[in-house]
Amino acid sequence: MDDREVIIKAEGIHKAFGENQILNGVDLEIYKGETFVIMGGSGCGKSTFLRHLTGALTPDKGRVSLLGKDLALLKEAEKEDVLKKIGMCFQSSALFDSMTVAGNISLPLREHTKLEGNVIDIVVKMKLELVGLRGFENLMPSQLSGGMKKRVGLARAIVMDPQVIFYDEPTAGLDPIVGGVIDKLILDLSKKLSITSVVVTHDMNSVFRIADRVAMLYKGRVVEVGTANQIKNTENELVRQFITGQPDGPISFMQTGDDYLESLTK
Amino acid sequence: MQVVVSEKDGIFICRVEGEIDINTAVQLKKAFDKLIREKRDKIVISMEKVSYIDSSGLATLVELLKNFRKYGARMKLAGLTAKVKSLFEITKLEKLFDILEKEEEAIKAF
Repeated sequence: MDDREVIIKAEGIHKAFGENQILNGVDLEIYKGETFVIMGGSGCGKSTFLRHLTGALTPDKGRVSLLGKDLALLKEAEKEDVLKKIGMCFQSSALFDSMTVAGNISLPLREHTKLEGNVIDIVVKMKLELVGLRGFENLMPSQLSGGMKKRVGLARAIVMDPQVIFYDEPTAGLDPIVGGVIDKLILDLSKKLSITSVVVTHDMNSVFRIADRVAMLYKGRVVEVGTANQIKNTENELVRQFITGQPDGPISFMQTGDDYLESLTK
Repeated sequence: MQVVVSEKDGIFICRVEGEIDINTAVQLKKAFDKLIREKRDKIVISMEKVSYIDSSGLATLVELLKNFRKYGARMKLAGLTAKVKSLFEITKLEKLFDILEKEEEAIKAF
């Protein structure tokens, strides 16, 4: 593994929102071509961490290197060049309701390139074929199911031929079969197009279907990194509790303490 | 990226060199404008020295094919490297184009 090319590197990432310390020194290396899953419970900081990797947030402390470039050291135009080489698949699909499927997918090409309309139309058709939605160009997002919207979001994420795609909860809110379809698509695109995939999720079925390697985040830190098999067989109790979904264990979901009654009468 | 055009017995051989991507695809299209305007009808695009082609490059080749077909011209691709060929296969475009191993074969095929 060590001789593989590191395409994303996070070093000592700290982030607080007000008094809430979300990330407490996250260190991670992601290799070129792998499907890397970041898992963890709600509120553990995984989406916040993802937003640091995509340059949407700047760490309070620490640094992120994406495609070999330290994001903090780049001028705006240089940063834009790096960000053109990544794709983002949002949890909500984030499609523009007022635009057709084709309009949504082609938006990055129309915004960032000088390609002719005819050429853009062909690219859109090629991407729709890859996500299994050929012929859906002229539909509006409101006419699509949740799974179809995700696939349109995915087509948009790959429209500029990115080197890395970031997925935020790609299977959230989908039934198990559609979730499986999305996972298969993530794998297909990663392998066919040699794309590095970084997936944030807490869907355990999805984790073990798609991951080459997995990191678990807990309380703003990485508590374990390993291959999917290593994670499945780990003896780390935090990870084991998360994987098996046990309510009792080192991860506490209930607030405890003697200050409950006091807080009611304060 | 650059395109050098030469002519032999009415066949126009267009040798492309470099990467065809979002930044150079427009330039590729422009390089063929004259041939289309003059309705040249036998075209070989030689891609031996194309190191990479992205979706916008592939789409530009499709657009060129459409333009040539409008007036009955024939366009052949030749000399695709294994990497470039695999991109045609992933996007299922290998069946759309007339693809030959070598430039000489493409010329002879007219």
